[in-house]
Amino acid sequence: MSELIASNPAESTATDGSTGITGASILLDHVTKRFPGQARPAVDGLTMEIPAGKIVMFVGPSGCGKTTTLKMINRLIEPTEGRIVVDGEDVTEMNGDALRRGIGYVIQAGGLFPHMTVATNIGIVPKMLGWDKARIAARVDELLELVSLDPALYRDRYPKELSGGQQQRVGVARALAADPPILLMDEPFGAVDPITRLRLQDELINIQEELQKTIVCVTHDFDEAVKLGDWIAIFNEGAQLEQYDTPERILGDPANEFVENFIGSGAGLKQLTLTRVADVALSDAITGRPGERAADVLARIVEAGHGHAVIVDERHRPIQWLSRRKLGRLEVVSQVPDPKLPVVGIRSTLNDALDTMLVSSAGAALVTGRRDMFKGVIDVKTVMDAITRSQSAAVLESDQAPVGLNTGLFQAQAAAAEAAPGESAPGEAAPGESASSTADARAAQ
Amino acid sequence: MWDFLGDQYEQILFSSWQHFSLVVQCLILATVIAVVLAALVYRNSAFTGIANSVSAIGLTIPSFAFIGLLIAPLGFGVVPAVIVVAFFATLPILRNAVVGLSGIAPSIVESARGIGMSRFRTLLQVELPMAWPIILTGIRVSAQMVMGIAAVAAYSLGPGLGGFIFSGLSRLGGANSLESVLTGVIGVVVLALILDLLLVGLGRLTTPRGIRV
Amino acid sequence: MSTRILKAEAGIAGGDSAVEMPGDPAASAVPVTRARLVWLSWRGLVYQLAGILLTFLGLVIWLLTANLSPIELTTLAPAALWVYTVEHVQLTLLAAVIVLVIAIPLGIALTRKPLRFLTAPVLAIANVGQAAPAIGVVVLLAFWVGFGFWAATLSLVLYAVLPVLRNTMVGLQQVDDRLIEAGRGMGMSSAAVLFRVELPLAVPVMLSGVRTALVLLVGTAALATFVNGGGLGILITTGVNLSLTPVLVTGALLVALLALLIDWVGRVVEHVARPKGL
Repeated sequence: MSELIASNPAESTATDGSTGITGASILLDHVTKRFPGQARPAVDGLTMEIPAGKIVMFVGPSGCGKTTTLKMINRLIEPTEGRIVVDGEDVTEMNGDALRRGIGYVIQAGGLFPHMTVATNIGIVPKMLGWDKARIAARVDELLELVSLDPALYRDRYPKELSGGQQQRVGVARALAADPPILLMDEPFGAVDPITRLRLQDELINIQEELQKTIVCVTHDFDEAVKLGDWIAIFNEGAQLEQYDTPERILGDPANEFVENFIGSGAGLKQLTLTRVADVALSDAITGRPGERAADVLARIVEAGHGHAVIVDERHRPIQWLSRRKLGRLEVVSQVPDPKLPVVGIRSTLNDALDTMLVSSAGAALVTGRRDMFKGVIDVKTVMDAITRSQSAAVLESDQAPVGLNTGLFQAQAAAAEAAPGESAPGEAAPGESASSTADARAAQ
Repeated sequence: MWDFLGDQYEQILFSSWQHFSLVVQCLILATVIAVVLAALVYRNSAFTGIANSVSAIGLTIPSFAFIGLLIAPLGFGVVPAVIVVAFFATLPILRNAVVGLSGIAPSIVESARGIGMSRFRTLLQVELPMAWPIILTGIRVSAQMVMGIAAVAAYSLGPGLGGFIFSGLSRLGGANSLESVLTGVIGVVVLALILDLLLVGLGRLTTPRGIRV
Repeated sequence: MSTRILKAEAGIAGGDSAVEMPGDPAASAVPVTRARLVWLSWRGLVYQLAGILLTFLGLVIWLLTANLSPIELTTLAPAALWVYTVEHVQLTLLAAVIVLVIAIPLGIALTRKPLRFLTAPVLAIANVGQAAPAIGVVVLLAFWVGFGFWAATLSLVLYAVLPVLRNTMVGLQQVDDRLIEAGRGMGMSSAAVLFRVELPLAVPVMLSGVRTALVLLVGTAALATFVNGGGLGILITTGVNLSLTPVLVTGALLVALLALLIDWVGRVVEHVARPKGL
């Protein structure tokens, strides 16, 4: 497995042509799992490629086989039929323990061992891999920093002395300990409160930007899938893939009724979390300065046909937002900042922007960029346009999607499901297989 | 063996009945004592601690030593046997009653008080029924334990099947000594099984359906 | 279902494991000094030891001041008492060692996957066996292997295997499945999971079972006298047979004090050996 880890970055670079990806690709090749005593297989002939360095979210109703599928990747559950291929290497027959040492695994509430300190917990896998003490200690500190916990403070604590969110962070750190190319997460944020969950999700996104692992994550929370996933796989019973696509396209163009129902109402609203304020066109605004005569500012907005004027300070930060009526009543523009100013950052999602503008009296929000400098105004109409546009774009996009990574699989599944339900067509694994065979060839050289 | 059983069956049945009734009566007494004690202590953590220590330490006292201590002042007979059996029967029930009563969620007690139930009524109608399955488990444990203790208690010439064991021992090697001991041991085990079944049945009948596991 | 019943019963019959955990006074939210926390966690143990010592002292003073007959004096000579006590402890400890050697590996084996189906039947049989009166078991075994030390030891072992076996199994079963899965998911072999996760987490429950067994053994060893196995029980039987009340009381008290002392030692070990972080 160490070989796998070592060989992997170079290979990924070669395959993807991009730098920084440390993840490995995974191929589930006609994988089936039958549990004894159950009439129907829990996972039925699933073929699925998981691209390197991406976050793939598994969602679906409970009992649909998504967790079973996840656990077959590190063979905690042994597949009844089919192959698991990691970075071109067939791992179906290799020693399961050795395989798992090279794959990070995170479960709900972290699954920390209560009788071991945080440092010991994190150091388990490195220790099993035979690292020396100094290297383990250094690695523990490095990982605690990565998950935003002060090593000096938390290294020697026991899990019960941590909050739920902290335990979950240590769980992620532990999974990353031996720098595995793959991270499997089973409902990782299910046991923490909603606010902590949002923070942990944001942190995972940051960590992933830095590390670019391949992350496979099971969740029952579709919003979480939309937020975290580069790709989302929606499963139905028997791990039947209903749709395997980007969040945008799943929201904009659900494959069938099942997916529509699963997304639930408000797909448009969910789409808002995918687009950032920076991605839409902002409207201009008339600006004024403190100390100016109110009448002058009023004259300017009347001339431009606007309803409001934005007052900015000397560093171009918005401090007030004045309507015509207010301006009419003023003599001179004051320099007192309005604490209730509806401001959103340019990196915010449209969802946040919409929240802000709904509470502002103007039905719009001020957008600020770096160092809180005023950038423009966003209003409800801009947001509505963005929804419409991304919906039509999603339909358009699905025709020109990058087939190589996974849409082939999705279409394969869909085609197979149409042709003969429950059986995937044999030819469909071809792209994955050819990819793995070229990888094998490269490894042989 | 069969001859022995045939000859002695009246005596065996009588002793079994005595043994059984000694245990059952002591259990009833013990349950009453334990539940009353638990109801008195369970809302005070210091008293709860004391009750738990008493039951833990009481259980470490060997029954044979205890009966010896009782023979000294009380002499031989039924009285020391009853005291020993009732004493040991109380301990597990007391512990479980305390655990059961103090394990009830405060919100439930609060809501009972909130709809105007008195303290005593809450205990009687809400807390005790909820703790009952745990108390009953304690009674079952007690029953198993004191069946054997009642046999040892026969050393004080008390009633029951223990007499067969001690008489077999005293006539060691003599006619029917092994049969006598075997009868005592097997009889006690059978009685214990019967009583346990009865208690399980009692649990079925008396546990509110909403909290049945 | 079966596991739940198992736990419920072990919580009561298998020592007092289930009851003691919430009793840990250190859990109070009031900010207290470290020394006070240590004192709180040791308080019960200190009281128990003090009680044992005081009772022992009282017994000694009573024996020294009581008006004893010559025959009582010979029976209660310090040297004789010492011999009985040593015999008693020997019986107890030997049986305990044999019990540990049998019950712990058996308990581990019965909770491994291939043998798990045996868990329920084994516990059922053991539970029925437990209902057999100790005195009967001791005497019956004497019929079988003859009288003396070994007959006594054998019956003691039979009697004390159950609590250790049951607590080993319960201790292992109550380990959160997700922790085992986490361990396996990290690539620990099943043996590594057993030794580094399951057993350490089962230690408190297992130790409590061992303590229960030891206390049971001290008490049952008093019955060894009926089969010439030695020990302090002889004082009780002699006292009863010859109507020597001081001998009877001394014997009974010494057995009880020994049981309490062994219980105390067991609690101290449990207190110290409990894995930190639990």
